[in-house]
Amino acid sequence: MATPLDRIRNFCIIAHIDHGKSTLADRFLQLTGAVDERNFQDQSLDTMELERERGITIKSVSVRLTYTADDGTEYVLNLIDTPGHVDFSYEVSRSMAACEGALLLVDAAQGVEAQTLANAYKAIEQDLEIIPVINKIDLPSADVDMARRQIEEVVGLDGDSAILASAKEGIGTQEIIEAIIGRVPPPKGNRDAPLKALIFDAVYDTYRGVVIHTRVKQGRMRKGMTIKMMSNGLQYDVNELGVFTPAIKPAESLETGEVGYVICSIKTLKATKIGDTITDVANPAPHPLPGYQEVNPLVFCGLYPAGETDYEELRDALERLQLNDGSFQYTPDSSDALGLGFRLGFLGLLHMEIIQERLEREFDLTLVTTIPNVGYRVLKSSGEEMIIENASQMPAPNEIERIEEPYIEAEIITPTAFLGAVCDLCKDKRGIHVRIDYIDNNRCMVFYQLPLAEVVMDFYDRLKTISRGYASLEYRLLDNRPGKLVRLDILLNGEPVDALSTIVHRDRAEQIGRTLASRLQRLIPRQQYEVAIQAAVGNKIIVRETVKAMRKNVTAKCYGGDITRKRKLLERQKEGKKRMKQVGRVEVPQEAFMALLQVDGDRDK
Amino acid sequence: MIGVYLHIPFCRLLCPYCDFVKRPYKGAAPDRFVDALVTEIERFEGPREACSVFFGGGTPSVLTREELERIFSALRQRFTVAPDAEIGFEANPDDITPEALAAWRELGINRLSVGVQSFDDGALTYLGRAHGAKAAHQACEWTAEAFSNWGMDLIFGAYPVESWGRTLAACRAHAPPHISTYGLSYEPKPPFAKRAREAVDDDVYIAQYEAAHTAFENHLHYEVSNFALPGYESQHNLLYWRNAEYAGFGPGAYSFLDGIRSRNLSRFRDYERDPGGKSEALKLTPSEIRVETVIQHLRLREGLEKRVYVERFGRSLEADYGEAIRGLVQRGLLEDEDGCMRPTLKGFEQNSEIGLALLG
Repeated sequence: MATPLDRIRNFCIIAHIDHGKSTLADRFLQLTGAVDERNFQDQSLDTMELERERGITIKSVSVRLTYTADDGTEYVLNLIDTPGHVDFSYEVSRSMAACEGALLLVDAAQGVEAQTLANAYKAIEQDLEIIPVINKIDLPSADVDMARRQIEEVVGLDGDSAILASAKEGIGTQEIIEAIIGRVPPPKGNRDAPLKALIFDAVYDTYRGVVIHTRVKQGRMRKGMTIKMMSNGLQYDVNELGVFTPAIKPAESLETGEVGYVICSIKTLKATKIGDTITDVANPAPHPLPGYQEVNPLVFCGLYPAGETDYEELRDALERLQLNDGSFQYTPDSSDALGLGFRLGFLGLLHMEIIQERLEREFDLTLVTTIPNVGYRVLKSSGEEMIIENASQMPAPNEIERIEEPYIEAEIITPTAFLGAVCDLCKDKRGIHVRIDYIDNNRCMVFYQLPLAEVVMDFYDRLKTISRGYASLEYRLLDNRPGKLVRLDILLNGEPVDALSTIVHRDRAEQIGRTLASRLQRLIPRQQYEVAIQAAVGNKIIVRETVKAMRKNVTAKCYGGDITRKRKLLERQKEGKKRMKQVGRVEVPQEAFMALLQVDGDRDK
Repeated sequence: MIGVYLHIPFCRLLCPYCDFVKRPYKGAAPDRFVDALVTEIERFEGPREACSVFFGGGTPSVLTREELERIFSALRQRFTVAPDAEIGFEANPDDITPEALAAWRELGINRLSVGVQSFDDGALTYLGRAHGAKAAHQACEWTAEAFSNWGMDLIFGAYPVESWGRTLAACRAHAPPHISTYGLSYEPKPPFAKRAREAVDDDVYIAQYEAAHTAFENHLHYEVSNFALPGYESQHNLLYWRNAEYAGFGPGAYSFLDGIRSRNLSRFRDYERDPGGKSEALKLTPSEIRVETVIQHLRLREGLEKRVYVERFGRSLEADYGEAIRGLVQRGLLEDEDGCMRPTLKGFEQNSEIGLALLG
C-alpha cells in the first residue's frame, strides 16, 4: 500500500568535509533500525574505498528510513545523500531537487565553510526548508554561540532554530528526526497525473546494469511499465523498481513523493543523464521537469599507458570505468612523444584525480598524465570558431583573431591571519579582486574572479599550504573572456615535445617556462650527448637549460660475486631505458611528464 | 686450476659505506667461525689445484697467528697450491706491525693489500675509518720493507674534495707496485645510503678519477679501478675479470664452478650451522656466461681478443657481438686493435655503457 504523501519527508544533508555528515547518517540508520547493530559498519553510506579514505562522498546514495514519531504515526523518511565536492555542483543541485528539506550541518568548532555556504545557497534557491544543526558540541573547542551567529549572519537563517547535536555521541539525533517531520513540508504532486520522475543519480551494478536513483514528482511508476527518457527519447521497460533500506528492496510501484531505484536493462551510464525526466510512454507528460542541463567537462588532460601497461589495457579500463562513472569523457588521442593514449574531460580537478586514481588502483595501471588544461575558445581570422582542449590543436599565431578562456568566481573562506597570503596567491594567479566579507573577527570570505586554467594548475594545493589547511574553496563558472594567451612549447634538442606544450598567459610564459625547463633538467638523466632544453613561444626561445653529456656510468668495484648481480643490474637498467620515451635522440623518463604536473609547486629552484 | 677466496667477515670498526658481509670483532674471532671455515674447506668437493689464494673481508688482518695457521693447514691439506701461486692478504693499517708482517710472510702470504683509503685525516674521518693518516704512512713503510709485492686501496669522492690530490701525492711517495682506486659509492644498505645526496657531482668524480690516471702514469691502468707495475697485477682478481673459476669460502662468499654461480649462506648462525651451504646457486646458460665473460674482459685494458673468444666458446665474437662492438668503437668506448677489443679511458669511465650495449 502506498504511503500517503503527508507521511513522507525527503531531505538531504549539507555539510563540509569532516563536519560529520556520514556519522549523522549512520545514527539515523541505527535509530530507525535500518541497519542492525551487528552488521553496523561505520559510515555505511560511503561505499567506495576512495570515499572512506578521503572522507568525502563521491557518488551519492539514498536510503529510506521508517520512523514512528512521538505521536505514534509511522513516517517514511528518505535521506538523499549528496556528493561532497565543488566539482559535482550540478549533481548536488539535482539531488536537492529531489528533496523538500535539508539539514545544514555546521561544525561547532569550525563554523561555516565555503562549500557548506555554496550548497546552503543552492538549497535556499530551490526553496528547501533548511534545518540548521550544530554538530560536534561535545568537542572541548566547540563554540555554539559562534556557530549560531554565523548561521544567522553568513547563511541568513535563524540561528536560534539550530539543533545542538553530537553525531558521534548520538546527542540530538531524535530531535533532528522530529524536526524533519515537523518542519520539512511533505511532498506535493498528483498521483493520477502522467508520470514525471527525476533522475538524480545513477550507478552501475555489474549484475544488474544501470541502477537509476529517482524521485517521483507526479504520477506513479510501475514494474513492467515502458518508460521514456525525456532528454533523448530512449525507451525502456521497467524490469524492477524499489527502495533502499539501505539494502535494495523491490516493490511493485513508486508513487508520487517517493524515492527509490529503477532497473531497466540499461547497459551503460552514458545513456543515463542526471537531471533527466522519466515519463510513461503510454501516458506521457507534455513537459519535462525544470533544471536539466547537459554537463560539459571543464578540465582536460592526456592519459597515456606507461610501464607494463599497454594501450589496449588502458582502453578496456576506460570502457569499464565509464560503465559505472558517466561523469568523465574520453576520446582516443595520440602524441608524438607518448604514443597512443586518450584525452579525458573532467568536471573539475578533484574529479580528475579521482578518475586517475581509480584507474590506477582498480585496474592496476601505470599511467602518464599530461599537464591538465581547460577548454579554450579560439576565434580564427577566417571567422571560424573552435574549442581547443589540447595545446597541440592551437592554430598558428597569425591565424588567431582572439582566444578566450573560462573564468570562475572563487569564494574562499579563510582565517584572517592568512588573508594576505590568500590575496597574494589570487593575484599571482591573475585574479581580479571582487570583495572581502568579514564573517567575524577571525574569518572572512574572499571573492576573486580567476581564470579556470590557473585554478586547475595547483591552486588548491597552494591554498591549503599557505593557510595550513584552513582555507576552503568553492567556485562557480562565470564566462569566457579574451586573454593574452600563448602556447608554450618545450623543445628537446630543438624538437618540440607535443605532450609538454601548454597554453599560458603571455606575462607568465617565461616564469612557467623556466620552472618547466629546470625541472626537466633535473629529471632527464645525462645521455651520450648534451641535451638542450628550451622553452619557446612561437619561434622565440625564452629559456634554455642544458643536460650535460654523460661522463660517468661505472661500477667501481666488481669482484667475483658481483658478476652475475652486475649483469642483472644492467639488464634492469636496460629495461628502464626501454620504458623511457624516446623524443628524437633524447630518452625522457616517464616521471618527467608526471612530475611536471605541479609546475607552480616547484619552489626549490 | 681455480682461485680460492676466503672471506674473513670481522672488522674492529664497521665502515659506514661498506656493503660486504661483516660483523664487529670483539677481541678474537669466535672459534666457531674458524671451525666452520675449516670444515667448509675440508668438505669442498671441487678441483684440487689452486692457482691463487686470496684473503678478503671484512678484515683478514684481525686473525691471530694461531687462527691463520689452522686455516692454512686446512687449505694445504685440501688444495695443491701451485709454487708460484699468488697468496694475497688484505690488512688494515691498524693491524700492521713488523711482527705481524713477518708472521704473514712465514705463513706463505706473498702479496699484501693495505687498506689505506686516504692519507688525509679529514677524509678518513668522513669515511668513518679507525686509523689516521700517520698510521697509514707507517703501515706502508713497514709493508714496503717486508713485501716486494704489495699495494694499497684508495677511495676517491670523499670529503674534503681537495684531499684527493694530497692522497695521490702521498701514495706516489710510497711507490707501491699496485694501487686500487675506488670511487665512493652510497649503496642502499649501509648507513651511507642516507647520505646519498652528498655524492660528488659526476664531473668531480671523473676529474678525480682522471687525476689518478695521470698521477700513476708509470703504472699500467690495467683495470677500471686498478693500476700496477708490469708483473704486479692482482692474479687473483684477474681470474674474476677473465670470468674464470673460483671457489669462495666463508659467510656470503660467492663461487663460480662448472657454470654455476653460487653464494654461501651469509647469516653467521646459518653459515656456522651449515658451512658451505648455499643461499643461492644459479646455473648460468651458455649465453649468460658468454655475455658476462665479454663484459668482464672489457673492464681490463688488455681487453678481449677475438681469438680467445673463439677458443673459449667455439663461436665468433663478430657474429655474437659485432654490431654492439662497432657501436661502442664509434662512441669511443672501445678500440679495435688487430682483433683485440680494449676499453679506452672513456670506456673505463662509462664501463656500464659497454655492458648495456652488449646486453642488446
